Amino acid sequence: MAGLELLSDQGYRLDGRKASELRKVQARMGVFGQADGSAYMEQGNTKALAVVYGPHEVRGSRSKSLHDRAVINCQYSMATFSTAERKRRPHGDRKSSEMSLHLKQTFEAAVLTQLYPRSQIDIYVKILQSDGGNYSACVNAATLALVDAGIPMRDYVCACTAGFAEGTALADLCHAEETGGGTALSLALLPRSQSIALVQMDARLHQDHLDTLMEAAMEACKGLSKVLDSVVRQHLQEVSVLSRD
Amino acid sequence: LSTNVTCFVRTAEPLEYHRSFLKENCRPDGRELGEFRPTTLNIGSINTAEGSALVKIGNTTVICGIKAELALPSSDAPDKGYIVPNVDLPPLCSSRFRPGPPGEQAQTASQFIADVIDSSNIIKKEDLCIEKSKLCWVLYCDIMCLDYDGNLLDACIITLLAALKNAQLPKVTINKETDLAEVELQHKRHLQIRCHPVASSFAVFDDTVIIVDPTAEEESLCRALLTAVTDEDDQLCALHKPGGISLSAEKLQDCISRAVTRNREISKLIDKVIQSTEMSK
Repeated sequence: MAGLELLSDQGYRLDGRKASELRKVQARMGVFGQADGSAYMEQGNTKALAVVYGPHEVRGSRSKSLHDRAVINCQYSMATFSTAERKRRPHGDRKSSEMSLHLKQTFEAAVLTQLYPRSQIDIYVKILQSDGGNYSACVNAATLALVDAGIPMRDYVCACTAGFAEGTALADLCHAEETGGGTALSLALLPRSQSIALVQMDARLHQDHLDTLMEAAMEACKGLSKVLDSVVRQHLQEVSVLSRD
Repeated sequence: LSTNVTCFVRTAEPLEYHRSFLKENCRPDGRELGEFRPTTLNIGSINTAEGSALVKIGNTTVICGIKAELALPSSDAPDKGYIVPNVDLPPLCSSRFRPGPPGEQAQTASQFIADVIDSSNIIKKEDLCIEKSKLCWVLYCDIMCLDYDGNLLDACIITLLAALKNAQLPKVTINKETDLAEVELQHKRHLQIRCHPVASSFAVFDDTVIIVDPTAEEESLCRALLTAVTDEDDQLCALHKPGGISLSAEKLQDCISRAVTRNREISKLIDKVIQSTEMSK
């Protein structure tokens, strides 16, 4: 397409990355005192915060509680200053509600909810700066926050986006690449069992290319899972040193 | 065993627990009565916003993002722009806040910030006017609490001031022929900050004891709250004591003097952080 060239002839993308290269990831756990678990995650220029409260008694209507598992309540919202144009409705609009539902469904697949019947786990995610891959940054941050809260999970949940340009699959799209008109696929993966928690794609793609696209997304998720694992181990080391003193 | 007993006392009889510390002129976290929690500041971390700042007073974490938009000035103030503050207390900052429309505390905090902006004249609204009756800036100051542990108002004012100092607006001219606005993104200028207000909050316990910078626990146990806002010329910009137990005039004067000292500490901190961000660029 004319205008933005997603992949140059030498194989470089708009921000200078190679096709399968992920953006720089920085993450920290246990950033807030009030919450049971919290995490801050940066994937390139996208900054996401995840906060977990729970498991606690179901708030509001008792009828929402399930007799054999915990209810997971997710809320996704973007800060008004997170996008180039000020976001007038940070939560309650259709996109946020859809994202909240996706997050809830993703984590219902991963969290061992049968261990906490009749209780509720709240996951609040906030995007402080948006540059593509909002859903993925949220899922990764929420995974770290759940680990920080000590809530048992089947596996890490790692998410990443993937796109398609000039016959090559691109991993971890930034905002310009997502809105550039090409394909964008979001994938949430449980890496050890290679099971897919969520997959979403909104664009036209020839079905022959689907396999390459899925492969690229799964490779990216596996790479991310290694990063998340190292963050968790490092945090545990720091915490154990502090508690020993 | 002793830690279990103190935890029990803290949960079952929180007022007695705090009183036992106040008798010794200190507080459960080891602070003195007139001591603020360690304050850290981080400026300019959000690059989608025109200006941003993150402040931490102890555990209380508040972030402010400034977004600027162009608008038509109102007919009764054609040479003035707008500054719109908004305080958001989302459920992620504490379990006491539920999801939904802004609650009472968020709305009163937003109104307080708006009053401080008007009374202290931190930015002259005339500076935000680009062309009289035709075009002006609207500055949306979105303040969001990320972790609530008491003393929200102090943190909001500090983060607002730091974000406004960090904010840069592009140069806008109106083309004479087409009557359209032309924005030059390469020429960015800082805002002219005319006043540096800093807030200090106090809590009153048991008629006589005044503590500075209350935590969430201390706020829930105190009998009155007081916030004093002073500027760099030691002038009082705002005084906010929403009800509660009565306070003598000399105690009030002590609080105001403490607020004046705090203003100097915070101004130094903001200048230091701004300098180090400039040098690291």
